[in-house]
Amino acid sequence: MAEMTPEQLNALQEKIKQMSPEELKDFQKKQCIFCQIVAGKIQAKKVYDDENVIAILDINPANPGHILLLTKEHYSIMPQIPDEEIAHLFLAAKQLSNSILRSIDAQGTNIIAANGIAAGQRAQHFMLHIIPRKENDGLGFVLPQKSMDQAQIDAIGDKLAAALGMKQEEKKHSQIPQPRTPAPKEPMPPPPPPQQQITELQKDPSKKDSIDLDDISRILGVK
Amino acid sequence: MSSCIVCQIAAGSIPSKKVYEDDLILAVLDVNGANPGHCFIFPKNHYPIMEQVPDAELAKLFQVSNKVSSAIFENLGAQGTNIFVSNGIPAGQTVAHFTINVIPRKENDGVNLQWAPKQLTEEEMSTVELKLKDQTKNVAVQKPDRKPRIPSVKQTAVSFEEEENFSNQLRRIP
Repeated sequence: MAEMTPEQLNALQEKIKQMSPEELKDFQKKQCIFCQIVAGKIQAKKVYDDENVIAILDINPANPGHILLLTKEHYSIMPQIPDEEIAHLFLAAKQLSNSILRSIDAQGTNIIAANGIAAGQRAQHFMLHIIPRKENDGLGFVLPQKSMDQAQIDAIGDKLAAALGMKQEEKKHSQIPQPRTPAPKEPMPPPPPPQQQITELQKDPSKKDSIDLDDISRILGVK
Repeated sequence: MSSCIVCQIAAGSIPSKKVYEDDLILAVLDVNGANPGHCFIFPKNHYPIMEQVPDAELAKLFQVSNKVSSAIFENLGAQGTNIFVSNGIPAGQTVAHFTINVIPRKENDGVNLQWAPKQLTEEEMSTVELKLKDQTKNVAVQKPDRKPRIPSVKQTAVSFEEEENFSNQLRRIP
């Protein structure tokens, strides 16, 4: 986007403030680089395309063949996506992962989604990363193991179970042994080099249903 | 009795803190998770890797995962969530039973799912693109609700031997 004068920026900010929620959504879409890729206005190396999703090669790949799988509709985070689209998205991911294993020299794949800046989300358009893996490829995803006491397990577990509509009848197990998966046989790969600075801004996931004017103005570089 | 630890959790012979359960799917709290509230979601049937999970079950698994992610946002005060899947040992898979991790996130929580980007030449990118496209031209995503458990007709034809080798290669898991 071309640089704007302060006057133009002010005018734009005024305009944004007067927009209806629908107009704002439309405006956000126009600012989204991935929506422009979906629309064909920005070039990308497309490897799959259907009525709901599009898959492109990541230009900053974790490994060669790293695919970004996007919904054509603009969603900021996964909880906004309806069930049928979730089904379609992940069935496409399954087949693309399969394609990676069969066409390029990969020994496994990771599928990663990030919701929110704290989770490493960099773009405002929800996407899945499908990453080809090889032994000793230098990727060091770190998942620490944090233990919880029984009170914490019960409190968190019951909260989630209630939210997910699970009946509370399994309370007889008061002491839970650790159903932890065994440690990998091979040593962990070395930690990754310092991670890239995250410069893009995205929506605060806690405000998933509203569009924040501050976010939009920050995208536009407004202080 | 199955030696698979995840099958034993599904069967109830290893107790767990369940957060969601239906006929085919179970979601439990990982008591040694990456963050408190880390859940894993898996099919009750034993499938080592994602490619083996039938479409109808896979669709449901991720729909449940999305609901778990929403429940984590709304009830645990998480600032974000990650959905994380490992297929194969080189990808970090440690148990030969397909599972989806849903991880609550906060700033500076010690979890790292980032990477340093690799620099590829334009030629390398194009080579990968062509190889992948050649494979994905046969991909067709079916509506799982209408035709559950019927394999997609347009799926890539793979010989039995190739399939065997492929599964064995990915299945080299304790």
